[in-house]
Amino acid sequence: MKHIFYQALRRSRPSMHAYDVALLWGVLILLAFGLVMVYSASIAMAEVDKDTGYRSTYFLVRHSVFLVLGLAGGFIAFNIPTKTWQQYAPLLFIVGVILLALVLVPGIGREVNGSQRWLSLYVVNLQPSELMKFIVVLYAADYTVRKAAFMGGDFVASITKGLLPMLVVMLVVGGLLLLEPDFGAFAVITAIAVGLLFLGGFDWRLFAGLIALLAVGFVGLVVSSPYRMQRVLGFLDPWQDPYGKGYQLSHSLIAFGRGEWTGVGLGASVEKLSYLPEAHTDFLMAIIAEELGFVGVAVIVCLFAFLVFRAFMIGVQAAKLDRAYQALLAQGIGIWFGVQSVINIGVNMGLLPTKGLTLPLLSFGGSGILANLVALGVLLRVDFENRQALRGFKP
Amino acid sequence: MNAPTQPRTRQRFVQQLKLERWRVWFILAGLMILFGVLIARGFFLQIMDEGFLQQQGEARYARTLKLEANRGMITDRNGEPLAISTPVQSVWVSPRSVKLLPPGQKRPAGWEPSSEKEPVPMSREELAQLAKAVDMPVKVVESRLSTSRKSGDKPDFVWLKRHMAPQDAKKVLELNLPGVYAQTEYRRYYPAGEVTAHILGFTNIDGKGQEGFELTRQDMLAGKSGSRTVIRDRRGFIVEDISTIIPPKDGETLTLSIDRRIQYLAYRELKAAVEANKALGGGIVVLDARTGEVLALANTPSYNPNSRARIDPARRRNRAVTDLYEPGSTMKPITIATALESGKVTPSTVIDTTGGAMGMAGYTIKDTHNYGALTVERVLVKSSNVGTARIALAQDREFLWQHYDAIGFGQPPRTGFPGEASGKLRAWKTWRPVEQATMAYGYGISVSLMQMARAYQVFATDGEIRPVTFTKQVAPLPGKRVFSPEVVREVRLMMEKATQPGGTGTRAQVVGYRVAGKTGTAKKVGVGGYTEKRYVGSFVGFAPVSDPRLIVAVMIDEPHGDSYYGGTVAGPAFSNVMAGSLRMLGVPPDAPTDNILLPGQDEPEVPEET
Repeated sequence: MKHIFYQALRRSRPSMHAYDVALLWGVLILLAFGLVMVYSASIAMAEVDKDTGYRSTYFLVRHSVFLVLGLAGGFIAFNIPTKTWQQYAPLLFIVGVILLALVLVPGIGREVNGSQRWLSLYVVNLQPSELMKFIVVLYAADYTVRKAAFMGGDFVASITKGLLPMLVVMLVVGGLLLLEPDFGAFAVITAIAVGLLFLGGFDWRLFAGLIALLAVGFVGLVVSSPYRMQRVLGFLDPWQDPYGKGYQLSHSLIAFGRGEWTGVGLGASVEKLSYLPEAHTDFLMAIIAEELGFVGVAVIVCLFAFLVFRAFMIGVQAAKLDRAYQALLAQGIGIWFGVQSVINIGVNMGLLPTKGLTLPLLSFGGSGILANLVALGVLLRVDFENRQALRGFKP
Repeated sequence: MNAPTQPRTRQRFVQQLKLERWRVWFILAGLMILFGVLIARGFFLQIMDEGFLQQQGEARYARTLKLEANRGMITDRNGEPLAISTPVQSVWVSPRSVKLLPPGQKRPAGWEPSSEKEPVPMSREELAQLAKAVDMPVKVVESRLSTSRKSGDKPDFVWLKRHMAPQDAKKVLELNLPGVYAQTEYRRYYPAGEVTAHILGFTNIDGKGQEGFELTRQDMLAGKSGSRTVIRDRRGFIVEDISTIIPPKDGETLTLSIDRRIQYLAYRELKAAVEANKALGGGIVVLDARTGEVLALANTPSYNPNSRARIDPARRRNRAVTDLYEPGSTMKPITIATALESGKVTPSTVIDTTGGAMGMAGYTIKDTHNYGALTVERVLVKSSNVGTARIALAQDREFLWQHYDAIGFGQPPRTGFPGEASGKLRAWKTWRPVEQATMAYGYGISVSLMQMARAYQVFATDGEIRPVTFTKQVAPLPGKRVFSPEVVREVRLMMEKATQPGGTGTRAQVVGYRVAGKTGTAKKVGVGGYTEKRYVGSFVGFAPVSDPRLIVAVMIDEPHGDSYYGGTVAGPAFSNVMAGSLRMLGVPPDAPTDNILLPGQDEPEVPEET
């Protein structure tokens, strides 16, 4: 009786695809959501802004172009073997650091809203910190594999040989990011690096201490800079100063409250009518919440959870196949998407201080979309190679 | 930590990384918990805390707009408009959202507020444009724009100019200046202007009734303003209605008993009479004899209620209703009717007025002539004070008081006007004989013109009196009998004779109609008693005598012309108004058209002293 059941179960399994179809669909759905919501959130703002030439489709057109470019970039990334990425990871990392440094050079870097994050490339503006997140995944995975010997075992060796080089490198990157300032990217990159070290088997007791140290550092940074201090205090109680420090967050929360179960309907948001700043980028989730309601929010969160879950599972599969670099690569991407989406949505919901971090795959922004889709191309590539390996090919 | 099957190695060669599964699950579980927290937080914000958040949202972008109710129209008895509301634009500014720049500076092109509260800069050129558009001095506009409260913060709303013509207001808004807005208001317009000013009164700039029926019927006319709650985007455009619109309830139309044509006529004639006699002022009341409806009421001096200029309070007085005067001889028919009612005299009873004077308790009652013996009828026709006094002294004072009281003296006529005078009628127990005598011919008693006109109803209606009313009646209100029809008929004939040669009111005659009435010339009370040079001339009468339709009461205050006798100063106005009104109403004549019988050249007019 039992074996007939298992047999039936086996039969009902779909034939094995060459790549992860479910993950691809999940990504495409998120991208479609993003395209519609970026248009909806930006339409009223674009219409009255002279920078957009009063064209309501300004952001829609640009976001579509970014999606095409990003999908092309993702496709190319999918066709590059992961070994190649591993090989060029240190080089890419150096390029990334140079780009981050260039941003800070006056005349080359471009300042928007008090942050110098963009490189002006005539046609488009490049945001190196977005690319850096991807590069850090490549680099940290490679680093962890290279330093395999110092991950566990001797306490002193793991600190001096395992942790210290990474710490120095990350201090450089983190310092550059904080100079922009881009606190959000700093948080994401730190999470990726620390997460990959942890996954790589770094002594967990050292981790506990490290995390405590980081927490102290975080608090120190926040307290030392009035700019960050203000952002932190604004989030603790936006209703204390709803027209000043808490302005953006209070409007974001109002958007959530207005949404209720199913939202006020697509296009019917009031918050996007110049009330909520950055509605099409950092606070896109608030507009989704207002127009599509709790249902919309839950769907987006679940899609992200699924994406992260798949990334980790691909990593587990790779680990089973003794492909440590690929495993860390996939899980690093998972951490990246997980942490960034959690922070962004958490900011929108008033759980975290405002950081200036976009919602991956959905928010408007060329560099972000490109980096996200290239990373997902790599993730699918890892999965593709896993499947090839299972079929007996040697990737 | 490490699996026991894996020997620990310290070798320096590149070692395959050992990935532990629990670490994956640890991080994945952490992230999933965070996602779960997000969903929970979303649920809290969107499903549980949504009331507070939506309320906060509404506080930011919901605005309750007042929907002004249109003030009800006031019309005359035929539906002709006497007071109407027309929409106008009122321009207001928000000092809080505007910051005046020093001279020479301009707002940079493409200026954007950095926060919601930042005021928009306005250049001096723009200020000058605004001042020009609203036709006000630049200094005044500037001071309005820099208004600040005691607490130091600037108000959000200050009127700049109210009640502008819509096209003028449009020009202001087309300047597209920051912080300048317009609002629709209604302005009251009175087509008849000063003619109806005292009846209607006027409204203040906020549309609230201040005088007359605009004041007394404020609630009915004003209606109820409605409201509409809308969501506005940050630039102020209305995006959505969020609550049910409470529609404004327009004010009701007030239909007065006034006949606009008669009103015009009455005002014109009164004004002419006051000017011709160089009088201080005057009043006129036209009543429908059958129903007690007021067909016209006018006073001079009057004012233009359409003008917003300050109105002299003296001109605002509705003299006919609020001012008291001593009626003089117009009181005599009432006294004589009471005497006839008592049965103690008949029209042919002879009264001795020999000497033309009568001394009483240090006071002398005088006639203009020595008439000798007069019948009761002739006493009235000749308007003999002595005769009337003797008749009154023969009456029981309580009986007299009862009739004076029943006819409405000493009580407000309850026409619905603010500040209605009730006059003075002292209790009969306090009357001294001299007072009883002087009251009989209208001294020592004070009435308003409205009360006097109303009192004459008893002669126009076979002895019944009705409340006077300014609202159009479907059927006459029930009357109260004061005199018997026989007595009234007798007095009516006496009053008709008073307008004929030999009587004091010959100038009150009307071509084609039989007219009855009584003149009155009373000295005004001044400091220390009656004055010698200041009189009130009046005439109260009705027509046609065969079936009275109209009562007209005219009062001229302090005539300083050739004559001050009521018959001369008020008679012609009475005649003109009565003639015009009867014809307008299509009342059939009850006399041949050559009925006018003025005293001949050699026969002087009969003057009177009271």
